[in-house]
Amino acid sequence: MEAKPTACDDTRIARFLRRELTDEEERLFELHLDTCETCSEKLDRSTAGPADWHEAAELLRDEPIDLEPLSVVLSDADSGEVARHVVDDSVRRVLELLHPTDDPQMLGRIAGYEVVGVIGSGGNGVVLKAHDSALNRYVAIKMLAPHLASSGAARGRFAREAVAAAAVMHENVIAIHGVQEHGGLPFLVMPYVRGTSLQKRIDQKGTLALLEILRIGMQAAAGLAAAHAQGLVHRDIKPANILLAGGVERVTITDFGLARAVDDASMTRSGIIAGTPQFMSPEQARGEAVDHRSDLFSLGSVLYAMCTGHPPFRADSSYGVLQRICQSTPRPIRQSNPDLPTWFCRLVDRLHQKDPQKRFQSAAEVADLLARCVAHVQQPLAQPLPNELCEKHGGVPVPHRRAWAVALVGGLAVAATSAVLWLGQGSQSDQSPRPDTSTPPAAANDDVRWNDDVDRLLRELNESVEELDKDTQQLFEEP
Amino acid sequence: MRVFLVGEEETVHEFPDTRNSLLLKLRDKGDCESWQQFVAVYRPVVYRMARRRGMQDADAQDLAQAVLVAVAESVDRWEADPRRARFRTWLSRVAKNAIIDAFRRRRPDAAIGGTTEVARLQQQPEPDDAELDREHRREVFRWAARQVRWEFAEETWLAFWLTAVEGRHVKEVAGQLGKSAGAVYIARSRVMRRLQEKIVELEE
Repeated sequence: MEAKPTACDDTRIARFLRRELTDEEERLFELHLDTCETCSEKLDRSTAGPADWHEAAELLRDEPIDLEPLSVVLSDADSGEVARHVVDDSVRRVLELLHPTDDPQMLGRIAGYEVVGVIGSGGNGVVLKAHDSALNRYVAIKMLAPHLASSGAARGRFAREAVAAAAVMHENVIAIHGVQEHGGLPFLVMPYVRGTSLQKRIDQKGTLALLEILRIGMQAAAGLAAAHAQGLVHRDIKPANILLAGGVERVTITDFGLARAVDDASMTRSGIIAGTPQFMSPEQARGEAVDHRSDLFSLGSVLYAMCTGHPPFRADSSYGVLQRICQSTPRPIRQSNPDLPTWFCRLVDRLHQKDPQKRFQSAAEVADLLARCVAHVQQPLAQPLPNELCEKHGGVPVPHRRAWAVALVGGLAVAATSAVLWLGQGSQSDQSPRPDTSTPPAAANDDVRWNDDVDRLLRELNESVEELDKDTQQLFEEP
Repeated sequence: MRVFLVGEEETVHEFPDTRNSLLLKLRDKGDCESWQQFVAVYRPVVYRMARRRGMQDADAQDLAQAVLVAVAESVDRWEADPRRARFRTWLSRVAKNAIIDAFRRRRPDAAIGGTTEVARLQQQPEPDDAELDREHRREVFRWAARQVRWEFAEETWLAFWLTAVEGRHVKEVAGQLGKSAGAVYIARSRVMRRLQEKIVELEE
């Protein structure tokens, strides 16, 4: 781009402020400002008086964190450029803080640990791989990003939350060896887990199989339950924070309790949170107080992502995502992945209730439910589908389609019972619409009011038939 | 019971009486908007003043809620005014009284006292006009910032924030964002201009 110098021109400043410059004129104006301090200052003064600039800084700058009402303002989740610059800067600043080491293989030393490399970095912090020579083991060291650590309150909170997280002892929650400080930056020492994150797994494989989804969900819920029992809310449950070691045999939730510390710090520093809002709960998105049930909503979004390969609430901007989380219902899972049974979609829907009261009320309950789902899918004959997941709570279990023979028998039995009940109700329900068996149950209208039992039985029958259809088809397709 | 009067997305919920009467009163769409802006600005004002006086989060939220409910209830009286003062102007006048009132009522008699919160409340001065104006102005700024923030690309907003609010050098920020100094000047001027327009819009 050739930089043709342009002359100082006050009318150009005025025209810029009136938004009258063409793109080309603006480009030249920008080039001019780059080298002309006089015009830069004039632009500042013409934009607002010194008192106004001062007032803006004064009023927008942070107050002590605990005076701050909760409000969530986010940067664009996928804004590549800015995030990258900030992140690179964080890594650089962290690495600069390391003490020199004698070992040429190492990047540096931090409080007795030899740093092997940088595992990753995000808006929130930098994760290093280091060797603990005293215990001869590798550890992961997570440091709060330097630009977040400038406030004493933020550092204090990071440390407090980390200590709280360290108290959670559970096989599905990452252990925390310790919390230390180096060069004024607090950092966490955790086991180095070799494995991949659920996010990477989803990126690579797209959707996961039902049994995998259930097993991962079950372990994540169990980990959450252990933390919730200590009064700790994760606040940032998302696939990137769920580690898979050894396939899906072992799930580890990371970053417990850190989200809160990081949110507060980054929000008050710059009004921005680097990171993705896609797995937030509606109450989080609105900036309201959250409790453990917020994590359950996020868990629902994680399950959804495993089912469909993408998060449930998507939009062009973070703000759009937040609005969707608060206002809209995600596209039904079976539209993206018809292989999944409706009972499983029902479980996700329950977690996705906007009103926390209407969700499952505890992670322990969800973990237990998912464990029973695993059992059911593995042994459909011996293990009935949990009652909670039948069409209406407490209804007759609908067998999984792999047990098609049982389903056939069950379906017929249900059909027989339904017919009897339905005939018995006939005179009272003349005006009730007859359920249309060609409509999938997910689309059935819940508002149809007639005898609950008949309604339920017919719907279950409908569902059984639907599943049977599919199984029969598969029978023919798979030689 | 906590009643939520939310500013932007929802209007009033778990509180049907107020919603109905309020929405009836606020048939005029402009007034509806005024009310929502009012809630968005005044809730944090009261909340912050309460926190500064040592109240816990939940208590401060309740107090903010009480003020909003009190104001909502007096919307009746507003329509009775034949000269029909501008709704917005009228609201802020009522709010001022409601806030001073609420804090005065929260100041407990020494006889009931005993907890730290009570002691702290007693030491705190009642809010006066100056504090209210200052807090209101602060919240108006923040409200405007939240509104216009989404109109700008991330880098533009960062350029404004880092230089104008955090007071960092233009050159340094330009380097960090990988932009020219000229672009940073342009970006921050744009944001500032928009911010001021938005504030005028709210206070007009």
